[in-house]
Amino acid sequence: MFECGTVGMERFRADGFDEFVAARWSALLHVARLLTGGDRQRAEDLVQEALVKLWFAWPKVAEQAPEAYVRQILVRLAARSARRRWWGERPVGDVPDRPQPDDVSSAVAERSRLEAALAQLPPRQRAAVVLRYYEDLPEGQVAQALGCPVGTARSHASRGVARLRQLLSDSVRPVG
Amino acid sequence: MDDFERELTRMLHDTRQHAPFEPRHQRRLYQGIRARRRARLLWRAGGSALAVTGLGAALALLPGTGPETRPADRRPLPATSPTPPPASPAPTTSAPGTSRPPTDATTIPPRDATPSYPPPPSATPGAGLRGATSSTSAPPPTHATRASSTPADSASADGG
Repeated sequence: MFECGTVGMERFRADGFDEFVAARWSALLHVARLLTGGDRQRAEDLVQEALVKLWFAWPKVAEQAPEAYVRQILVRLAARSARRRWWGERPVGDVPDRPQPDDVSSAVAERSRLEAALAQLPPRQRAAVVLRYYEDLPEGQVAQALGCPVGTARSHASRGVARLRQLLSDSVRPVG
Repeated sequence: MDDFERELTRMLHDTRQHAPFEPRHQRRLYQGIRARRRARLLWRAGGSALAVTGLGAALALLPGTGPETRPADRRPLPATSPTPPPASPAPTTSAPGTSRPPTDATTIPPRDATPSYPPPPSATPGAGLRGATSSTSAPPPTHATRASSTPADSASADGG
C-alpha cells in the first residue's frame, strides 16, 4: 500500500522530469564539463547531483525555468567541488597537443586545449566565462547564477577572458 | 565583442559532444533520488524527535506547571532563643537564661516575645525562680529529648 503510494507520488512528481532530463542531458553535461575544466567524471557527478536536487524541486520549477534552476545549481556545485577538490586541478605551463592543419583529431585537440585553459581559471571566473560566452546569458542572469552583484560578475568574466586570451593566444587566430 | 571573444564563443560551442542519456544514467539518478529521500526522512524524523524532547523538557522545567507543593512546604521556621543552645551538657543552676521554652514548636511565642525572657540569675534569685515556674526555667537539657521536659521537673531540679 505504502509502496504503491510512493510509486504513485513519484510518478506524479516526475511528470515531465524524465523527458526534460533526456532532452537536456547532453547540454547539461557539456556545461558541467566546461565548468569543471574538462573533468568528465566530475562533470557527470555534478549533473547527477543537480538533477537529484531538481527532482525534489520539480513541482515548483517545472512550469517556470527548470534549466535555469539546474544551471544555477551546477555553478554552485562546481565552485564547491573545486574548493573541496582543489588538488584535482593541476595547472600546466604549456598547453599540450598543438594540432596540425590537416590533423583529423584537431577538434579533439582544440577541445583539450580549451579545457586545459579553462582549468587554469579560478572557478568563479570560469563559470562567468561559460555562462556569458557559451550560454550567452546577459550579465544580470550571470550574476544571479553566481550569486553576486552584476559588477562582480562582469569583473569575473572580464578577467577570465583576459586570462584565456593569454593562454590561448598561441592557437587562436583572428577570424577572417 | 572582439575577435578573440567570438573565437572563444565558437570554441565553446564546437567542443560540445553529443552524450545520450543512457539507462545507467537513469538508474544512477533514481538511486540518488531514493538515497536523498531516505536522508530527508531520517533528518525529519530526527528533527521531530528532538523537537518533542525539547518541548517535553521545557514543559517539565517551566515553573508553575508542576505539582503545587512548594507553598505547603514553606512552614515557618521554629523560633529559637537568641543564643544558641549550650554545647556542653553540664547542668548548672545558672541555666535559666539559656534554657529553651518547654513548649512545642507550635506554641512558641513570636520573636517579639524574646525580650520578656526571665532575667539572668545575676539579678534577684527569687525573681528568677518565679520566672522559671511561670514560663521557662528548665535546666539546660543534656540531650535534645530533654529539652521538652516538663516545667515541674525543672522546678524540682532548681529547688534541690
